Amino acid sequence: MLQKPESGALPIPQAEGEKDGDRDGETQALTASQNEVPSPFLQESPKEDLGARKEEGATESALTPKGSRTLAAKALARRRAYRRLDRTVAELVQFLLVKDKKKSPITRSEMVKYVIGDLKDLFPEIIARAAEHLRYVFGFELKQFGRKHHTYILVNKFKPLEEEEEVEEEDLGGDGPRLGLLIMILGLIYMKGNSARETQVWEMLRRLGVRPSKYHFLFGYPKRLIMEDFVQQRYLNYRQVPHTNPPECEFSWGPRSNLEISKMKVLGFVAKLHKKEPQHWPVQYREALADEADRARAKARAEASMRARARARARATDRAGIYPW
Amino acid sequence: MEEGRAERRRRTEAPSHTQGGPRRAGVMTDVHRRFLQLLMTHGVLEEWDVRRLQKHCYRVHDRTAAVEELEDFINNINSVLESLYIEIKKGATEDDGRPVYALVNLATTSVSKMASDFAENELDLFRKALELIIDSETGFASSTNILNLVDQLKGKKMRKKEAEQVLQKFVQNKWLIEKEGEFTLHSRAILEMEQYIRETYPDAVKICNICHSLLIQGQSCETCGIRMHLPCVAKYFQSNSEPRCPHCNDYWPHEIPEVFDPEKEREAGTSRATKRSLRSRQH
Repeated sequence: MLQKPESGALPIPQAEGEKDGDRDGETQALTASQNEVPSPFLQESPKEDLGARKEEGATESALTPKGSRTLAAKALARRRAYRRLDRTVAELVQFLLVKDKKKSPITRSEMVKYVIGDLKDLFPEIIARAAEHLRYVFGFELKQFGRKHHTYILVNKFKPLEEEEEVEEEDLGGDGPRLGLLIMILGLIYMKGNSARETQVWEMLRRLGVRPSKYHFLFGYPKRLIMEDFVQQRYLNYRQVPHTNPPECEFSWGPRSNLEISKMKVLGFVAKLHKKEPQHWPVQYREALADEADRARAKARAEASMRARARARARATDRAGIYPW
Repeated sequence: MEEGRAERRRRTEAPSHTQGGPRRAGVMTDVHRRFLQLLMTHGVLEEWDVRRLQKHCYRVHDRTAAVEELEDFINNINSVLESLYIEIKKGATEDDGRPVYALVNLATTSVSKMASDFAENELDLFRKALELIIDSETGFASSTNILNLVDQLKGKKMRKKEAEQVLQKFVQNKWLIEKEGEFTLHSRAILEMEQYIRETYPDAVKICNICHSLLIQGQSCETCGIRMHLPCVAKYFQSNSEPRCPHCNDYWPHEIPEVFDPEKEREAGTSRATKRSLRSRQH
């Protein structure tokens, strides 16, 4: 069977296609990789091509120009169909993963509309292959539900984690440790009366083993993280303190910090760190309480005005008899 | 039959696990699956995070096994992903060469990965920002210039104030980076969209002379115009006291950054400013 490779003797450059035609019924056995890079593949295993061609050439005389052209055309068409099927399955897998991220169930008609298109007669095979990929590669089970069973969701086949594993997992991705660093800085700023000198911040971090220009395995380059990222993301304000010589700079809470976290929460964090109660710092505690009251009032006001607007809209539609939008 | 590992990988076929037993693609275990799931969740991760992630997955699913060398681990997974037209791609941040990893689509469907998180007009805003960034000399597009295009967006009408917030959303989701009111592409976007960008903007796109990948930020030769990524500059001119352009041999006029080394202490980021570089913003 192993014949002397005579790559130069193959009349058709798509000899690779013969190999595909050889395994007609096995649709799974094809990948893009074979099709995307024909030339090195050709040079690598011309023996197989020859063998396949021999089997294929039974009906048509593969040696006549017409015969070999028809053979090649058929093989090409078959190859294209397989390739298209593979791509559609791959697209469906990605579509399902993306949709699942939003936690919304996916309907069969959506899949046909956005991915499968006119291959919809092959839907059962396509979805079966996609499901197998999702299970084997990603660990997701594709489950059907709904009356007609035309709605699908992805279920993670992993069992829930132990608590410590879960914490470890949440810690990954940089955000956890970085936000932890941020909260330490916010805490320092708050306890120092809502602003802290830059030197104080670096002093605190140095005690934690964090130096400004030394790459840290959790924070990256701390100086960049604090002076650039946190400031640009509006977590921190950074300004020069007037009338200081040599000029000093200070940090204060940025607008995003005020939105995303409260003084009371930060005080609670500082208290826990020192193994004390928030009330241990009466000044800061009072300030935090006042801040909580302010937030509650602002929230109540916002809700009231939203309700008023909704009422006004309802009245307007009643009067107009049509929807204003 | 003896086959080299490389050959085996080249002849990778579709998951033959469906036919009973993987033939030559890598083997997926729960360790790999969890790794993939978490990498997908985060979008892009720096290398040190990826190593932590890998160790975490072993701890959860296979405590006794030895943690495989990261490169082999990832190649193994990629051989399985090949038939799905996706891969774990390694890149580097353009400003200081920190290695990053992301799961990317090999079949170019542009901003499809963002499509689940953003509305039509938001995606169009991203496209407009992307075009400005690619066309720019420095790889940065100013907030003002982006916001001025708000009237041309497809979909629901967007006001400038709203657009500002959408831009911040892009920053938070790691598609854009903001520096002093200007925006450039996050390494995630570069990794995921490189192919799309090269195909969609073949004339405007810039390529690094050293690594031949897409270039958004970098330095350029003032004589012949070739461009290089900052980390590529760092590696190429490492310990070379008289850096010269690899193409035209003219004196290289910019400050040479340092090679990324997590062990070494150095000047972190910000203004790598010499007077010369300041003039051209060092591209």
